[in-house]
Amino acid sequence: MGEFRTLPAGAVSDAVRGSVTVPAAGGVAAAETAGTAAGTVGEAAGTVGEIVEGVFGELHQVRDAVLATVGPAPVSGDLAGLRPLLLPRLGGLISGIGFIAAPGLLADAPWYLEWWQENPSGGPVRLVRDMDPASSAFYDYSHWDWFAGPRSGEEHTLAGPYVDFLCTDEYSLTLSVPVRREGEFIGVAAADVFVRRFEVAVLPVLRRVPGPAFLVNRQGRVVASTTARHLAGSVFRGAPGMAAHPCRDLPLALVAAQLPHVP
Amino acid sequence: MTDVSGGARLAAFAPVDSTARVDAVVRRLTDAIVLGLLADGEQLPSESELAAQLGVSTVTLREALMALRQQGMVETRRGRGGGSFVRVPSQAPELVDRLRAFTVEELRDLGDHYAAIAGAAARLAAQRALPEDVAPLRRTLEEMAATRDEAHLRRLHGRFHIEVAAVSQSARLTQEEIRLQADIGPLLWLAHTGEHGPTAQHRAIAEAVHRGDGERARDLAERHVLDGVEHLIELRLREP
Repeated sequence: MGEFRTLPAGAVSDAVRGSVTVPAAGGVAAAETAGTAAGTVGEAAGTVGEIVEGVFGELHQVRDAVLATVGPAPVSGDLAGLRPLLLPRLGGLISGIGFIAAPGLLADAPWYLEWWQENPSGGPVRLVRDMDPASSAFYDYSHWDWFAGPRSGEEHTLAGPYVDFLCTDEYSLTLSVPVRREGEFIGVAAADVFVRRFEVAVLPVLRRVPGPAFLVNRQGRVVASTTARHLAGSVFRGAPGMAAHPCRDLPLALVAAQLPHVP
Repeated sequence: MTDVSGGARLAAFAPVDSTARVDAVVRRLTDAIVLGLLADGEQLPSESELAAQLGVSTVTLREALMALRQQGMVETRRGRGGGSFVRVPSQAPELVDRLRAFTVEELRDLGDHYAAIAGAAARLAAQRALPEDVAPLRRTLEEMAATRDEAHLRRLHGRFHIEVAAVSQSARLTQEEIRLQADIGPLLWLAHTGEHGPTAQHRAIAEAVHRGDGERARDLAERHVLDGVEHLIELRLREP
């Protein structure tokens, strides 16, 4: 099971912070080149951040729709009202999207998710599963990072990459945000992004960075990369001469060659 | 053009993979039932809904459901409140029947294949595990230790091995692990009949993954499969 407990928002992974940097010799020419390149790395990190924030933006709309849909004593059928909003969001980066109720929220189903994903031919299908942990060994979703993160107060959770053997058998990222009603946590709005699609979206950006560059999640797990030495799925435990650049406020960082200090 | 080539042409123009599709649907649902992804008594979506979800025609789906009914894994009730319901086969007698369906050579080969997959997955899992990846493995071991329900224990056993495979970060190895668990997992459980909780091997695999010791994790995972298969082969040789 891909279970990735997240650290406080904004933190860069220990692995990344632990990286050792070896300063390069700097001349004026080198510093100028470096200055340009530093701009490029920062810009690339920002662009990646924008791509990911686009998905979080969709989730904020799902969250607002959930709050508009869920009355004081909601039942599972009420959530069908989200479908016109959810279905058009499939495609592009998003391969699955929906709302996962906090256990006990719904009067008629202690465990429930209104979750839509693409079938192999691209059409939307609803994930229909028995979610009761008492009758299945698999579906206690409260431990999964994409649920536990928002429940513990994180505003933006990026879980994975992990092998999603419950829903799609794909190597995926799950992005999620908490849904709160008058301060009370009632579930999460979440979206799945296949790692292969994420790679297609971010690789052109990473390629603008001179030298090897890759994205790591908060734990230091590589998500996408322009170097075969640090491929998606591997853990980056720091390397001489490499530095991490946060992607906006997200739990994601771009790691690239450390540049000479520019005075 | 002769009749012979006419016959061959007809065969060539037969629906490309209708049988393969039926088999694929049967296999998918069997996997899900055996592994507990679909629970006993759970109602399946309507035929048209399920066919659409699986991306197959309703005709294909009906054929698959018929096969599953014959295997006793699906029960269809008519009338109001009717539909198709999952039936998780009770184990011992049917498992022995299932074991009889294999020759010793097939069991040996299946064991070799599974040991290769389980070993490779465990090695990568140890190399790529972060501390938090080990938490679900430990949780499953604790649940295994706590339960007294044999069917639940068997499912947790399957879940443990799938969780180890998922830590490898390889979707293909995980899918293969799930397939092999469906093929031979419940049978391998025969080797543990009468035991309670996780074995020392399960705990040792989780520990090797935790310590990042890839070679040891691989050796343990291979040994775990091969011990189980050896036991199965001995059981098989006692059967007619």
